[in-house]
Amino acid sequence: MSAQLWAVAAVVVIVIAAAGLERYRAFRARRVALLASGGVAGEPYILYFTGEGCTVCKTHQEPALAKLPGVRVDRVDAVAERELAERFNVYMLPTTVVMGADGKPIHVNYGYAPAPKLRQQLAGLGVNFGTTATA
Amino acid sequence: MAAAGLQTVDHSALKVNQTGIVVTVLVVVVGSIFFKPAVLLLPLLAIVLLLGTFAPRLALFKQIYFKVLKPAGIVKPRPVQDRPEPHNFAQGMGGVVTAIASVFAYFITQPWGQGLAAIGLALALLVAVLAFVNLAFGYCVGCQIYYQLGKRGLLRA
Repeated sequence: MSAQLWAVAAVVVIVIAAAGLERYRAFRARRVALLASGGVAGEPYILYFTGEGCTVCKTHQEPALAKLPGVRVDRVDAVAERELAERFNVYMLPTTVVMGADGKPIHVNYGYAPAPKLRQQLAGLGVNFGTTATA
Repeated sequence: MAAAGLQTVDHSALKVNQTGIVVTVLVVVVGSIFFKPAVLLLPLLAIVLLLGTFAPRLALFKQIYFKVLKPAGIVKPRPVQDRPEPHNFAQGMGGVVTAIASVFAYFITQPWGQGLAAIGLALALLVAVLAFVNLAFGYCVGCQIYYQLGKRGLLRA
């Protein structure tokens, strides 16, 4: 009896894992489709393309993004999400894309984009950072 | 005009085949609790699937459909313009996995072989689950693998 129980347990685990992976794949596909169709985002946000081996991303870009309080930053692994990376012609990391409230890309920054530059781009889209400078 | 490679495939035959796989594996798994030699049905299933892949007229479950179920009107035919190769590939894959499962499941008769038997039964159950998914939801994982391999040039799809 134990062999049968172990077999059933193993298959249940495999099926649940496969279902989880499929949900994740579907979620990614929906996200790509939404961006490709210029889906409405509600407010400006940043698409941040990064990768495992990108040192500048960790040492420079991420601290810069942390200086933008209240701004939505969607982190994208450019290797794992190649389709999305190709859509924005991401040929180097980091790349930041400032997206408008209508979900359309407004500014694309190839390479490190300092916080003041991103703040200026977002301010041009109506994002209010207040009067306190955090640079 | 039909697209290149399309033929009339009776999907009812495929469904009967999938039902045969699911039922056989369930009989093996449940039956082996009470009667261990029931696992000997697994190599038979593997032979049926592999023979059916390379010589469709030897596909037992499909033949049951064509010779018995369809003429008797028990199962209605459902001809669809489709390619038979992905379905054959899926069946062959099921046959190979079932053959591997048979080897592991054989050890169920040995007191020390329960772990190996569990692996064998799990593989057989996986084949049954995939057959059931195809039967119930029309999603053929083996066909997807066939198309993916073809896309990567690993198979002449």
